[in-house]
Amino acid sequence: MSGRRRRALIGLGIGLALADSSVVTLALPDILRQFDVEIPEVAWVLTSYNLVLALAAVPAAYAARRRPVPAFAIGTLVFAAASLACGLAPSFGVLVGARCVQAVGGALLVCAALDLLSEADGGHSDARAVRTWASAGVAGAALGPAAGGILTETLGWESIFLVQAPLALVTLLACWRLRVRPLAEPAGRPNVPANLALLLVSGALTAALFLLVLLLVDGWRISPAAAGIVVTIMPAAAIATSVVAGRFGGLVTRAACGCVLIAGGLTALGVLPGSAWWWTIAPQILVGAGLGLTLSSLTERALHGRSPQAVHGGWTIAARHAGVVVGLLLLTPVFTTALDRNEDRALRAGAAAVLDSSIPPLDKLGVAQDVLALVRAADREVPDVRRAFDDRPDDEEYQTLEERLVSELDRAVTAAFSRPFLLAALLALAALVPIAVSRREPSV
Amino acid sequence: MTPAAPLVACVAVAVALAGSYVALGGTSYEPTPVADPCAPRPARETSGTGERVEVVLLAAADETACELGVSREDLVIALRSVDELEELADREGRSRDELEDALRAGLVRAVDEARGENLIGETTAGALTFAAERLPLGLLLSVLRGASSFLD
Repeated sequence: MSGRRRRALIGLGIGLALADSSVVTLALPDILRQFDVEIPEVAWVLTSYNLVLALAAVPAAYAARRRPVPAFAIGTLVFAAASLACGLAPSFGVLVGARCVQAVGGALLVCAALDLLSEADGGHSDARAVRTWASAGVAGAALGPAAGGILTETLGWESIFLVQAPLALVTLLACWRLRVRPLAEPAGRPNVPANLALLLVSGALTAALFLLVLLLVDGWRISPAAAGIVVTIMPAAAIATSVVAGRFGGLVTRAACGCVLIAGGLTALGVLPGSAWWWTIAPQILVGAGLGLTLSSLTERALHGRSPQAVHGGWTIAARHAGVVVGLLLLTPVFTTALDRNEDRALRAGAAAVLDSSIPPLDKLGVAQDVLALVRAADREVPDVRRAFDDRPDDEEYQTLEERLVSELDRAVTAAFSRPFLLAALLALAALVPIAVSRREPSV
Repeated sequence: MTPAAPLVACVAVAVALAGSYVALGGTSYEPTPVADPCAPRPARETSGTGERVEVVLLAAADETACELGVSREDLVIALRSVDELEELADREGRSRDELEDALRAGLVRAVDEARGENLIGETTAGALTFAAERLPLGLLLSVLRGASSFLD
């Protein structure tokens, strides 16, 4: 098998495993409804995977450095089997449990892949292996939500996992007649500043993906497939920027530029002037460009001059996914609290809109009660107030009232996302501190 | 190009986007304010007993909300059930009895004013006054919620 084909297969495996940290983002509203859980609980479908991946990455890397090829094969098989279990999960508990097992397989697969990539190149260029490894991870994480959204809309959320299993098995072909000599030398200490910066940036990027998707699908009621297409802007910008990343200077400058762009994009998402998807385009381009600059340059920085690489690759995976967990645990409560508060204020304004409207007085209490019933039934989800008008006349008065209620709710929901996005922007800016320190970090 | 140039450019782009969004009103979310229930509302054209009764009920909501120091909208939302009315009383630091008395008194006052302005007839006024003074709270709320269907 040619080195190029082998690299592509290994890259596919890395992409699949790291896409899983975000691939279910657009499926969360469907999972929430199917298993009748709330937003903080459903976030565990994402959190559990990222938490276990963060915890398992370094031990998996130590295991992988001794026997990289069997480690990759075992990791892939565990990942594929757990993906099937996720797709067929009969309960929410089983789904979260299978996600944990999936993460263990993913950790082994991804860490072993670094040494396999070096060997696929004939052991000539570790730098190229690191670039391929980092890029495959970035592509997977960035494309995950869009792929997940389209699969959710067309085939259901279960298909996300069921499609992964055979794809993961195909990557096993990369192990065919591949021999990787284990490295006996000590691993050395990790690059702490670069890994800390990765943690903070990943936390910020979680907000960009997780919150943006929730805003589009749950807040503005855009279909998962349409939302998937909207959030494709981010990976497209990431890929376009990574092509010209070299023009931004060295690894540290690139990482700093990326953080600034991510912070700018997230701030813009926190102060959206309107409740329509096109307002998210420019911020997404900035976040995507920042993603393309930061993640791969920080990963390369963390691995620079360090050998054996699998162990340090493990540290970067641990840092990135710990950042995702920090982002989810930090931002989800901020978001749900703001949503509850704003929903109450919007409800009061909505009641005023109904009582002051020019619809026939006889129907005012009826509409108000129907809207309230929808709000109560939605139970911490954003209600679809249009349903209160399903069986009412198609008159101008009713249409005006319907639009006013929808607009009131949209504005309240959009504002509820403001604080978490701004908090995430601060995380991205905080990453500048370890990035500055990492300039002095020696290569070992 | 100096090493700082790309960083300066990125800062400029980030500030320009966030700044333009703020300039377009991105930080100005405030829900539409609700009207003061103690301030008079513009008179509304009505036709038929049903519409007139609805106007009386809305005026009663204003009277009660004004006395309790809450918005008419909070009161109407709380009229869904006795439990929600008790929650409102708790939030406002009042007893359930105080709130119930204010609701009944507000309704009686609004009916009297409507009768004085010949908005509703004696029979309708009598029925509403009876409901306000005699019916148990739960039943009164059901009548208020279903007033329109009673009169259809």
